[in-house]
Amino acid sequence: MVAVVFLVFGMLQLTPGDPVQAMVGQYPVPPEFRAAIERHYHLNDPFVSRLWQYFANLAHGDLGFSFQMQRPVTELILERAPRTLILAASGFLTGIPIGLAVGLLSAASQNPHVDRFWTTTTLIAYAIPGFWLGQLLVILFAMQLGWFPTQGMAPLVSRASGFGWLLERARYLALPAITYAIYEATRVARLMRANVIETLGQGYIVTARAKGLSRGAIVRRHVLRNSSLPVVTIMGYAFGVAMGGAVLIETVFSWPGIGLLLIEAIRARDNQVVVGVVLFVSLAVILMNLIVDLIYCALDPRIRTGS
Amino acid sequence: MFSHRTRRRRPTEKDFSPMVLVKRLRLALLISCLCGAAAMPARAAEVPQRGGSVIIAMDPAGLSILNTELTSLSPALYIADVWADGLMARDAAGKRIPHIATSWSVSDDGKTYTFNLRKGLKWSDGQPFSSADVVFTLTQFAKFNTYLSKIVPLIAKVEAPDEATVVIGLSQPLAAALDLFDKENFPLMPKHIYEGTDIPTNPANRKPVGLGPFMFESWEQGRSLSFVRNPYYWDQPKPYLDKLLVALIPNAQQLLNALIQGEVDWVQLDFSQIQRAQEAAKNGKIKVIKIEVNAPERSSLDFNMRRAPMSDVKVRQALFLATDRNRINADAYRGLAFSATSAIPEQFKELNDPSVNYDKLYPFDPQKAAALLDEAGYKMQDGKRFSVELTYIATSPFDAIAKSLAAQWKEIGVDVRLSGLDSQIWLDKVYRKNDFDISLISLTGRSDPTLGVDRSFICNDAHVPYTNPTGYCNRDLDRIAAQASASPTAERRALYKQYEEIVARDLNEITLTNAPTYNAVATKFKNLDAQFDISFNEHPNWAEAWLPEDAR
Repeated sequence: MVAVVFLVFGMLQLTPGDPVQAMVGQYPVPPEFRAAIERHYHLNDPFVSRLWQYFANLAHGDLGFSFQMQRPVTELILERAPRTLILAASGFLTGIPIGLAVGLLSAASQNPHVDRFWTTTTLIAYAIPGFWLGQLLVILFAMQLGWFPTQGMAPLVSRASGFGWLLERARYLALPAITYAIYEATRVARLMRANVIETLGQGYIVTARAKGLSRGAIVRRHVLRNSSLPVVTIMGYAFGVAMGGAVLIETVFSWPGIGLLLIEAIRARDNQVVVGVVLFVSLAVILMNLIVDLIYCALDPRIRTGS
Repeated sequence: MFSHRTRRRRPTEKDFSPMVLVKRLRLALLISCLCGAAAMPARAAEVPQRGGSVIIAMDPAGLSILNTELTSLSPALYIADVWADGLMARDAAGKRIPHIATSWSVSDDGKTYTFNLRKGLKWSDGQPFSSADVVFTLTQFAKFNTYLSKIVPLIAKVEAPDEATVVIGLSQPLAAALDLFDKENFPLMPKHIYEGTDIPTNPANRKPVGLGPFMFESWEQGRSLSFVRNPYYWDQPKPYLDKLLVALIPNAQQLLNALIQGEVDWVQLDFSQIQRAQEAAKNGKIKVIKIEVNAPERSSLDFNMRRAPMSDVKVRQALFLATDRNRINADAYRGLAFSATSAIPEQFKELNDPSVNYDKLYPFDPQKAAALLDEAGYKMQDGKRFSVELTYIATSPFDAIAKSLAAQWKEIGVDVRLSGLDSQIWLDKVYRKNDFDISLISLTGRSDPTLGVDRSFICNDAHVPYTNPTGYCNRDLDRIAAQASASPTAERRALYKQYEEIVARDLNEITLTNAPTYNAVATKFKNLDAQFDISFNEHPNWAEAWLPEDAR
């Protein structure tokens, strides 16, 4: 974590940018205004002094203060993270089962046309950039059919309550979550297909067949679990990264999560927020790797026995 | 041919019998009721009703403070019209109209400005407003206000002889002074909130207290801002709407999508979206409004004259001749802009001299451009004369302009390397390091050349951002600009003619297009004509519009 802070701080120091100019806009900054802002937020302090101060604050769990948003960075991240969590979790929880099923179907099917169809479909879907896919979904489901809102997390004016309130929020979540899910599903499907093909060629599968087990039983008992292990690793890492916000998806749908926070901070050169978000993502990746290890233990008895 | 006359029957005694009179009275009552009922909906539609809300939407890029005494960012300016107010505003024709000041006068020597203020006004927090607030705003905020940089050194005295009068004395006249005192450049700030505090970092810059029709309620970062009706607004019973919400949407296409789908009610249109908005407006639910007298928004090319070949005026002239500005208008502005004719924008009708006309001086003529480059010593070799880097902020409309220019200049053997950058990196490269060949930018001319045009041409020894980055410095031009800024309108035109001629000759910057401003708004609101009775840098303040009950 120390290395991450040092690296990001250093890179931001080298990046051109003037946070005070970003505040004022396309006009010259009056010298008195610049002096007041730089003095108040220590923007002109030497690099080493700012870095030292940052580490001192970090030791107390303080990620700094956003001069652009006038709030502690920790508070901002804690406000945005649940929104990104909802979006990422919805995308993953929908996308992964679909991906697993498609990958399994594609690899285990005895009909070559089925495999060819799903391989081509997932390849095309995987190749579509997320932001473009998002825009296509908006055009079709929001603009043409009017089923979902075009953007946002919830209506700014709402009289809904109870189940109606939940349904209203779900309508806003649908399109960004579907965009996320399609991307994750294609990724998992491709990975799963490769794993299943590899597993089906293993000796113990031949033994299982020789024992007279049905194809369905072989897939259920021996193929599914063994082929899922690498998927869990990749998805665990991907979920950690996703907690940094799918920047493009959040921008396309104006979903005010961590990704949009990062974009806002970069535009305003609000470096404390940028460092804070990067730290948060690093932490999320580490945490997810830990969770993946635990899931691995549950899925793979060899690891449990080893421990 | 034929005339037909009916003779009126004389009333008889029977006509005045009680039974007949009662019958007639009943009939008259019935008719009047029917007529009244028929007229009622129409009359009700005409009478403004209170209630309902409006959602305005914008890209919040960079928005950190709302106080436009301290920032010139577009989203802050859109929002300031809602919560802040100033001495004067402008109507659709560009004429000054009273707001907080009921009248004003300028002394014959152009040095003393007297403003008579409305009496008994209150700030949105209920505290009384007086001339002391105006004096405080000018004396304490002016040094932080980027628009007022021209007038700050000239202010000799600011006095409040009574609670409703402010007198401002200048050491020398400034023709644009009244423009600087309007509500866009000089929104009034409450003394009781800011006195004795560090103004640039005062929390009120994000939770403002003002004199506008709505008062600040909350700001949910990255999502929305909320304002409610200001009960102390000076122009009662306005505003009619209970609430105003600001949706923060960081994407031009999504802004328009949200408007078309009725999720929001107003956006200022990006040029990439105008055609789509006009198409969508055919359903009658939204309306595209062109601001007739807008602040000039002109795309321009700045040449770095410190470097060859840009240092050669013949090269600059050749590039101008090789530029088809109609094609740029078609490629980047969907044909809605027009070619700028000189350094002084066409919107300033009293100051722009039509005799200096780029269309005549530098008509699109690639052959002449090629000949001029030959003359300058840049002969065609292997299909190429020289290579230049064109740097710009990678966003609309600059991407399209840059690509159009690269294609056009290729025809005369000029190889253009496109360098679309993040705005901060572009700023650093162009204005701080001066490490560029040609820079593409679009700057607002505001409401007077002194405020928005001079910065493209005057000497800039201190490398001030958004001010002439070309290295061009002509003391004669600076002198003319200073003289024009201090002269009466009648004398200014002649000076600006000289100004235009010098720029047209030296071409440190070539002005490509002058673009209008378009708004799109939901038609469910009534009184939109009055709401959009604005010009130059103003935006709707939502004090005039109202919502019929069935549209809420």
